[in-house]
This record gives sequence, structure tokens and C-alpha cells, in this order.
Amino acid sequence: MNTDKNEIFTQDQKDVLQEIMNIAFGNATAELSEIIDIYVVLSVPDIKTINSENLDLYVNNLIDLKKNTKIIEQKFFGEYNGAGLLIFPDINNDEIVTLLDYSDTDSIDYLEQVPVNEILIEIGNILIGACIGKITDLLDTYVTYSPPDIFSSDTSNKFCFSCNTDKDKTGLVMKTTFTFNGKNIEGLLLLLASNDSFDWLKKALDKFMESYL
Amino acid sequence: MIYEQIFHMVNVGIVILDVDLKVVKWNKWMEIHSNISCDIIAGKSIFDFYPNLDTKWFNRSCKSVFSFGNTAFLTHKLYKTIFPFKPVSSFVTIFDNMCQDCIVGPLRNEDKTIEYLYLMVSDVTKMASYEKKLLDMGSKDGLTNIYNRKYFETKLEEEIERSNRYKNKFSLIIFDIDFFKKVNDKYGHLAGDYILKTFAKIVSKLLRSSDIFARYGGEEFCCILPETPNELAVIIAERIRKEIEKTLFEYKKDTKIRITVSQGVSTINKNITTKTDIINLADKALYKAKSRGRNQVVTAQTYL
Repeated sequence: MNTDKNEIFTQDQKDVLQEIMNIAFGNATAELSEIIDIYVVLSVPDIKTINSENLDLYVNNLIDLKKNTKIIEQKFFGEYNGAGLLIFPDINNDEIVTLLDYSDTDSIDYLEQVPVNEILIEIGNILIGACIGKITDLLDTYVTYSPPDIFSSDTSNKFCFSCNTDKDKTGLVMKTTFTFNGKNIEGLLLLLASNDSFDWLKKALDKFMESYL
Repeated sequence: MIYEQIFHMVNVGIVILDVDLKVVKWNKWMEIHSNISCDIIAGKSIFDFYPNLDTKWFNRSCKSVFSFGNTAFLTHKLYKTIFPFKPVSSFVTIFDNMCQDCIVGPLRNEDKTIEYLYLMVSDVTKMASYEKKLLDMGSKDGLTNIYNRKYFETKLEEEIERSNRYKNKFSLIIFDIDFFKKVNDKYGHLAGDYILKTFAKIVSKLLRSSDIFARYGGEEFCCILPETPNELAVIIAERIRKEIEKTLFEYKKDTKIRITVSQGVSTINKNITTKTDIINLADKALYKAKSRGRNQVVTAQTYL
């Protein structure tokens, strides 16, 4: 997919980014288990640049949309900006309620049904926030977040991640798979960096590299 | 100076907490709705005044903001009570407390470290009441105010999926009011409506809160009984049959009507894989109940 744009980042920059992701994900999972009692395992991330036009196709090829497919999207803004997508290819309601401890809420619930989408939004917010937070720590910056939104294939018709971005823009996609310890739940985490932040990102990666030379 | 004024004038509650979750700032909106002035609460732990917040979810949100610098979005859909304030509007009366959305985010020093967090509290009571209305419109039957067929079918599918996965039993009852057409013909359709509404009310009272009771169409009703074996479902159905039989439906002072109800019961088993299977089974039992003289409960188990 659009390999001609690959030279946006040098091999060194890509290696550094890979290393940063490894450190960041390690820190994120450690702190998630220590502080929030979420035991999540993240795989080694796969990094590639994709033209925004091809992003929907890319996501579609990664997952086989099912009735129970849920995607949580959260945008972030700053020197580093883009979006996080947390994809649960096939998850059922009984599994969702076991993800976080809700034993002391009074609220499940006046709607007379378990607000599964709200629970997934909270999970997405925590996982995306933890990963982005640790990446931005290493790159010496910080971002602000939009409220997360959810795509649920039983209520929405389609998704279009490329609709609100310029067609000719390139995005950086960092893909990782995750599983929750002791639970039969797995999914995909995509962190997209928009090309508005490429200039800054390249500088930040070089700076990070220098600090280790 | 102007910022300070805006801080107090905005129509949202703003609270600033330090790492020990002690209150640093408490804006006018918070003062008004809590009846606690900033002078009193400043320097004290938020939990001293709102012990209801000393929960796993609130601590989890604050900790994640301090460690990851992210923003936690606490919505009224998940967290019914954040700050237990009285509703402001005199026109929304379905909630005891104000419904709130609360955003928790980081406040950074010059060197980017997070020393404080902010809470931004919005009153979303009106929106929550619309949401509830919309949900009811989509899931409830307009006449009887019990669940509608669409909701019932969604729940039935979920129940079958759950049963396939965890092998737990559930049962289904289909009800049909006997000779309902005669009620309509003799007393008029308004009387018929009264019967349907009252019938739904009586049956609801005899069911458990986990049961899903719905109007299937016309004078047909159905009920999903989760975690219920066949024998227990038959006992519940028989209890309903007796109650309906002895009830005098008083439509008007001089119009007292008696009705009876026929019921078909079916229970999930390994041959049932779709919602149509289990409905058909209960339907056949209901047909048997009708052909055997009505006002009785027949279970699919007895003739299989």
C-alpha cells in the first residue's frame, strides 16, 4: 500500500519509533496493572505509513466485521496528533462487563440494561490514553483528548476514518494486538499519527536518538 | 482577573484537586449546587464531603490522569451519581439527582509534570430524560407500557446465544387471552384496551424483575424467564392463570368483565438453536391449550 511514501521516515527514525513504542507499551502495561488493575498484554507493534484514502480498506482487511464488532475511536491533539482505534473484532456483552471492576457503582442501571458501549468507551479511553501518554512522555510532549466515540456494527451502518481527513494525506499507523490476562478477549490497537505532526515527529525522534548517542 | 471571573461564571462546575485529592479550587457553580462554599471545602479531601466518590472507579480515573496525563470522561450513563445535587429544572421529574457528565483531566506545571487535576461537571439531566424517553419509545409497547415485540426478539436472541455458550436453561411462556374478540365485540374496543392494560399490569406483578414480559401483538403476550427450568415456568404460568381467572376486570361501574388466558410453555434444549425454534415450540403448546378447552397451561415438554 503506497510504498513510495515510505521514505518520509528514515530507517533510523523508524527503528527509534519502534523502540519508543516498545518502551512505552511496556511502561503502559506495567502501570495499568499496578494502578488500575487492568492486566493487558500488548504485542510488538508493527509500523507502516498509509495514505489516508486507503485507511478504511486497511482496517477492513484487518478485521472481519461481525455483529459483535466494536471499535472505539479517540482523537488526540497537540504537537503530536492523530487518533487511537481500539478494535474488538468479536466480543459479547457478558465478557464486556468483566473488563473493569464496577462492583461499587450504583448505576448498572436505570436504563434497565448494561451500558456495554459505555464500558467499552471507558476501556478504550484508558488503553489509548495509557499508550499515547507513555509515547508522548518519551517524546517530551503531551496531548489533549476528545471524548471517545464507539462504532457498534449492530447500530451503525459503516465507519469511515478517512472521511474527515484530506484524501492525499499520509498517516502513520502503529498496529498492535492485545489480550487481557486470564480472559478470552483479544483485539487490535491502532495508533494513527496524522501527517500534520510528521515534521515535529521526525525532529522528536532525532532528538530522542541523540540523547542515546 | 478576567479569567477568575470566567472561572466563576461558566455554567459548569470546576473543581481542582491536588495529588492527595484535596480540594484546591471550587467554583461558584459548585458552591451554588452543593451549598458548600469554597472557604469550607478548600484544603480538605473531596472524600470528606463526598464519601460516595471514594470508589474504585473514581480513584481509577484520578490515578490514570496522574500517571498517563489522559482525560477521563465519566458519563451519566455509567455513573448515575457523581455529585449528588438536586435537579435544577422543575420540569424534569424522573430523576432524584441531577444527571452529570464529568471530565477529569490533568493540569501541568511549566516542566510538564502533573501536579493537579481538574474536574469539569456538566448538568445533563435534560438530555438524560430525552434519552430515557427515546429508549422507552423504542422498547416499550405504547398501550400496555410493557416491552414491545422488537425488544423481546432482541432479548430472546441474546438469551439463546448465552444459553448456547454457558448451557444455562431458560423458559418461554406465550399467553393468549381467550375469546378476546368477543370482549371487543360486546363491550367495544376501549374496553378491550382496558383489559389488555390491566392484564399486563397483573401479570407484571406476578413476574420477577429479571423476567422479560412483552406484548407480542394483539392479545398475545410472551415472557422470557431467564435461569428458569421448565417445571418452575409451569408453576409461574399456573399462578398467572389462576390470578387472571379470579380477577373481575371492572371497566366501568356497571361493566365488569371476566377473562381467562391460555398459555404455552417451552424451555431451551439442545435441539433449539434459533429464536424461531423456541417460539414455535411454545406456540404449538399454546395451540394445544386452546384445543383442549382454553384457560390452561400446556408445556411443550409433556407431548414431546
